[in-house]
Amino acid sequence: MGKYLVKRVLLAIVSIIIVSAIAFFTMNLIPGGPFNKEKAQSPEAIKVLEERYNLDKPIPQQYVMYMGNLLQGDWGVSLKTGRDIWTDISSKFSVSARLGGSAAVVAIIFGIILGSIAALTRNRLPDRLIVFFTTLGTAMPSFVLATLLLLVFCLKLGWFPVWTSQDPNYVLPIIALSVYPMAYITRLTKTSMLDALNQDYVRTARAKGVPRHKVIFMHALRNALIPVITYVGPMVAYILTGSMVVENIFTIGGLGSAFVTSITNRDYTTIMATTMFLAILMVIANLLTDIAYKLVDPRITFK
Amino acid sequence: MKKIVALLLASCMVFGLAACGGSKGSDNAASTDTAADAGSTETASTGSQAPDWSEYDALIDEIRTTTDFANRVELMHQAEDMLMSTYAVIPIYYYNDIYMQKDNVKGVYCTVFGNKYFHKATKEGSDTLYINLASEPDFLDPALNSSVDGACLIVNSFEGLYSYDEKGDVVPAIAEGMPEVSEDGTVYTVKMKQTKWSNGEALTANDFVYSWNRAVAEETAADYAYMFDIIKHNDDGTLAVEATDDYTMTITLTNPCPYFNSLLAFPTYYPVYQAEVEAANADGTTPGAWCQEAGFVSNGAFTLTSWSHDENMVYTKNDNYWDAANVSLKELNFMLSADDTAIFAAYNNGDLDFIDTVPTDEIGSVMNNSDFYIQDNLGTYYLAFNVNSDLFSGMTAEQAAKFRQAISLMIDRQYIVETVGQTGQIPADSYIPAGMADGNGGIFKTADTSYYDATTTGAGNVEEAKALLEEAGFTFTDNGDGTYTPDTPISLPYILNENTGHQMVAESIQSDLSLLGIEMTIEVEDWNVFLEDRKNGNYTFAREGWLADFDDPINMLEMFTTDSGNNDPQFGR
Repeated sequence: MGKYLVKRVLLAIVSIIIVSAIAFFTMNLIPGGPFNKEKAQSPEAIKVLEERYNLDKPIPQQYVMYMGNLLQGDWGVSLKTGRDIWTDISSKFSVSARLGGSAAVVAIIFGIILGSIAALTRNRLPDRLIVFFTTLGTAMPSFVLATLLLLVFCLKLGWFPVWTSQDPNYVLPIIALSVYPMAYITRLTKTSMLDALNQDYVRTARAKGVPRHKVIFMHALRNALIPVITYVGPMVAYILTGSMVVENIFTIGGLGSAFVTSITNRDYTTIMATTMFLAILMVIANLLTDIAYKLVDPRITFK
Repeated sequence: MKKIVALLLASCMVFGLAACGGSKGSDNAASTDTAADAGSTETASTGSQAPDWSEYDALIDEIRTTTDFANRVELMHQAEDMLMSTYAVIPIYYYNDIYMQKDNVKGVYCTVFGNKYFHKATKEGSDTLYINLASEPDFLDPALNSSVDGACLIVNSFEGLYSYDEKGDVVPAIAEGMPEVSEDGTVYTVKMKQTKWSNGEALTANDFVYSWNRAVAEETAADYAYMFDIIKHNDDGTLAVEATDDYTMTITLTNPCPYFNSLLAFPTYYPVYQAEVEAANADGTTPGAWCQEAGFVSNGAFTLTSWSHDENMVYTKNDNYWDAANVSLKELNFMLSADDTAIFAAYNNGDLDFIDTVPTDEIGSVMNNSDFYIQDNLGTYYLAFNVNSDLFSGMTAEQAAKFRQAISLMIDRQYIVETVGQTGQIPADSYIPAGMADGNGGIFKTADTSYYDATTTGAGNVEEAKALLEEAGFTFTDNGDGTYTPDTPISLPYILNENTGHQMVAESIQSDLSLLGIEMTIEVEDWNVFLEDRKNGNYTFAREGWLADFDDPINMLEMFTTDSGNNDPQFGR
């Protein structure tokens, strides 16, 4: 296990370096630049800014300098605002993580419960209702759902403010963010649960007179969760880094919006920082997923 | 083993890309070659098809330096005549600004430059105003900001020597009365009130001297550094601005400037608190760092006390503001969002008191409401042709101008303002907008400065436009239904940035031009690419717009000089 983990961590580092290189060089191939403005800046000002941020150096050299600084914990400053990127990312990530973390918990809990119910009531009314709503949930884009929630719960029912200067109310954004993964987890759980319920060991347990709830939760569900875990790991990493659409509609200063805006603005340092941050989260999530496999399924061995 | 091979392949790919990418520096160095190469496909080098622009450049130089203001007005008219005769700049309408303000809010006012002032606002039943102007601006530093949204925040939290009142007039703010001007018009003496920074320290003339020199310093890299070009520069590069005592300053200009008072009210001329600015910029590479979080020192009616990035900002009344007794609001609370739907919903839900964004498809429903306001702006929505485009290859400059004139004649401006603008914009028949001062005590645009009847351009001009195109060398076949088909296909690529309104304008023009069989293709570009393509002349026909920085035509004329960074039509290049 220890040897496996060391190997995985080393591979993870290589993956992150490759991601950083791909992001850095492709980012520089996109037309446009960080100092383009409607009212043009003077060539003198642009020269000063390019020198300040090392954009006057050859791109491979810029990459080496960037990675060198990053290894020393220096994420740089935004080319657009001059703000320290790490300060920006950490504060925005705390917002996105609070929102995304809650949404992930909601999606996982309700997804597993609904998936299990659907499997246990196959072809009956609860199953059909769940299938209907999960199909709707996976088909509906988040911007439609978010706008719909805003219209119904804020404007029509008046249960929530559209915007508040106090701490934003996270109920509607959590619903908007969690519906798709919840629907997906529900479908995954249902499929694998149905598969597990037809396995010999479940039949044996029933024949031995094990109580129904024990058969379902201890035997069937535990095995049914393996494919769910495969999905949940990357999903959590993805959801934690925010959603531009949901953040914009509910005026939440999260990482998702910052990532997209940085690309539009060609804010190279912010693009790199958010990409690296997402890559690191993904790698960690995948590693944890693999470890979780082992905990759930003792048959899996690390090599 | 497979993984190692995969990693090696991926690394090769990455470094292959790197090799293709080359250096940014070499990109720039190669850009001239690229532009020249592109000439064969996108643009041709300046030839007979493009107007000779040396006379325009000379005219702008003369306008900048002349001391005869009456003659200056004439020269500016000549410059506009010259610009309009090229038809490379096609005005569509003059900008106006809309906003919605709850009926219990009074005293907010807007200027023709788009700035909104809240220091005289009152709100019945509350002393907190909830506002949305836009998303978070890049900078709150008066020297570094160049956006209108940023300027709105700056004018409410900082104050310069002069400001604008409700009528749009320049009035003393930190200054005590209007400046004394020397007989030759080049030396301004400004006496200041004894005012304080928000931390209680005295604001002196030296603060202005420092702030202005900082704004023009190379290392600050301020967008609007050129706003100080009119002030004489000393040999060491500093400005000829002197604090003769704590509350008096003298400013020496290079030549008399009829709009200098307007510049003194421009946000880039506002003071910043030296100790704080320098403490946050120890190594000289972070000039704007001092005001990137709430709590910085300012001298305006409100100070920023809380800032949750991309969510909200809270400005609190500055008790050390010189006119604090007349500021009735205790708090300005800004929603930081650019999402039209969310902003409009928040306003309708009562969460906001003031907004200046309304979704295009909702304008019709609120136009006649008592809380809907329209303010004229000094700016023009226009279209630009790249005078060096291949489209004009083989034409003389006159033929190319006739081609563009035909396009201008075919555009139904009235339809655009009624169906797209919807808020009473005036169709533009000149580039300099209505209402702009002439720098000699009058208004620049008169009945004589109408270059065509903007209310009748459109389908009714098919015959005239066809005749112009024929003079440009095209021939047409009559379709018999009032439309024509060119014997040689005319393809006109048009670029714009992603925006519903701009798209609707483009589609309207596309429809107008189809009467003459002109195939206008609409290419929506990413904002950043769009700006770069226009700047580099990688286009034929593009959407444009300019909101004046100050109230003088020179601001809108000098942008078309050969060396200007805003010379998108590529005149003289």
